[in-house]
Amino acid sequence: MSIDVRNVTKTFRTFTALHEINLHVNTGELIALLGPSGCGKTTLLRILAGLEGPTTGAILLNDQEVTDRHIGERGVGFVFQHYALFRHMTVFENIAFGLRVRPRSTRPTNETIDEKVRELLKLVQLEWLGDRYPRQLSGGQRQRVALARALAVEPTVLLLDEPFGALDAKVRKELRRWLRRLHTDLHVTSVFVTHDQDEALEVADRVVVMNKGRIEQIGTPEEVYEHPASPFVYDFLGGVNLFHGRVHEGRVQVGDLNLALREQSGIPDGPAIGYVRPHEIDLHRHPGEEGAIEALVGRIQPVGAVARLEMVRTDNGELIEGEVSQQQWRELALSTGERVYVRPKSLRVFPEPVE
Amino acid sequence: MTTGVLSLDKGTSRIASTVAEPVLVRLALILVSLTFLGLFLFVPLAAILFEALKHGLGTYLASFQEPDAIAAIQLTLLATAIALPLNVVFGLSAAWAIAKFEFWGKQVLITLIDLPFSVSPVVAGLIYVLLFGLQGALGPWLAAHDIKIIFAVPGIVLATIFVTFPFVARELIPHMQAQGKDEEEAALVLGATGWQTFRRVTLPSIKWSLLYGVILCNARAMGEFGAVSVVSGHIRGETNTMPLHVEILYNEYNYVAAFAVASLLALLSLVTLAAKSLVEWTSSVEQKENRP
Repeated sequence: MSIDVRNVTKTFRTFTALHEINLHVNTGELIALLGPSGCGKTTLLRILAGLEGPTTGAILLNDQEVTDRHIGERGVGFVFQHYALFRHMTVFENIAFGLRVRPRSTRPTNETIDEKVRELLKLVQLEWLGDRYPRQLSGGQRQRVALARALAVEPTVLLLDEPFGALDAKVRKELRRWLRRLHTDLHVTSVFVTHDQDEALEVADRVVVMNKGRIEQIGTPEEVYEHPASPFVYDFLGGVNLFHGRVHEGRVQVGDLNLALREQSGIPDGPAIGYVRPHEIDLHRHPGEEGAIEALVGRIQPVGAVARLEMVRTDNGELIEGEVSQQQWRELALSTGERVYVRPKSLRVFPEPVE
Repeated sequence: MTTGVLSLDKGTSRIASTVAEPVLVRLALILVSLTFLGLFLFVPLAAILFEALKHGLGTYLASFQEPDAIAAIQLTLLATAIALPLNVVFGLSAAWAIAKFEFWGKQVLITLIDLPFSVSPVVAGLIYVLLFGLQGALGPWLAAHDIKIIFAVPGIVLATIFVTFPFVARELIPHMQAQGKDEEEAALVLGATGWQTFRRVTLPSIKWSLLYGVILCNARAMGEFGAVSVVSGHIRGETNTMPLHVEILYNEYNYVAAFAVASLLALLSLVTLAAKSLVEWTSSVEQKENRP
């Protein structure tokens, strides 16, 4: 089932949580809403579920407007951040809940419910825990029970709020892969909220990067990582070097480095910010003809497939992070305190935002 | 008592003895508490029973067969039977509203719920007299329509409701606030109706707090003296509740009957205490079972 969000704005008294959000999710897609806390991602998810109403705008499921439809009739499954399992019910009863509360005419028989719950317990690999109470389970187990409970009503859309937020790193990674596999098997349209860029990039088909109630970029993990649409996306997806410089007649000047901008970049002359990821940096022992940024080598971490190093710019003392292959590293043979010349392979330039 | 304390000391590890108070201090504290309890609780309780049974069991039981005593007991039961369900309904609604919704004036509502705790019961009674009494605001209208509230059963019921209404709400609010509304939201998303959500999710999780509140409310409703005394008018056999009846008998030097009815009230408080402990014990056992 496809999801359409049309011009949705949400205000809480004086605070605007969402500004004119437009989003289309295709049937069977797995979408991540990614952003820092307070960016409105959870509010958007709750509006999709019907737990909140939009101030203006509309929500469509399968091209049908559901904005005013009651929450229980939308056919969505919702997994809460802290699971919200019914603490006085067993795992079995938790999963059966959605079936047991149906009106008599559509309620399955007890045998059917029994069968269905066992099937779901098997799906989430917790067959032997049916008669336990939520308190007796670990975080990861609770998460899977919450998922089974949401799936029991055969939702057409599955919404997950920070599904791995409260778990420790190892369980998190496992569950991440498991969720991805589950989605491949079930193919139910899913939207999940996260503040962890690795999680979004690894699990989702497409990532929606949000900031301050607005969508900054929508794209595949590759698109948002390789071609960030804004300085915010660049920053938020992590591990990035930032250079302040000046744009003049199609060229950008950063320290002693002068680079040509890509054609038709449309960036006006004036102050600008350049972004470059650590692995997109070339290191040299000599400045070369095009000029380079001079720096001193700081801490070195030559572990694994790449060598990571920190450098301090000699002109303004700012830190630069770099990553080079082990082979390059051996060729350069640098050590702490030595002079090095830094040249970005590609520099993404944005006009300096006006404060 | 002392042996119990000392054996506990032996049972705990060495670390405990380094942070615990010296034995003498502990003994002194326990002794002070026990003496206090004995003087102010057990001695009066024993006195009541002693006085009530001084002239034998026959006289004691005869005190309850007197028509005025029966009327007093019936009135107390009636007032409680009306106040209690209303209290549960009000307490649940107020706690639900406060814990699950955001609305303007929430703090004011919370403060107002505590009002009967802070206002003297006599003042509470007087409010009703000023409102419904003959000289009161609504007095002439009520008199014209031949409705009696003050110095009649409705006044007693009203006063009882007023003094007891915080009990259930007070027990439920912190509990429901701590639980949040995630579980209710989960139930709604799963397709449950509002009533199903309340019956299957909310009520089971608050049942012990609710029962606790009901027990406390019941005890207060039966034992209330001040507010009821003001609005009652002390008409024997008509508007006397048990506590008022005790006072009248005592003032008439009918000690045996007074202490007999008083012993019934004391018995009630003991039953309440037992019920309260049972509820606390059961709910803690249930919580323990739910833990790993």
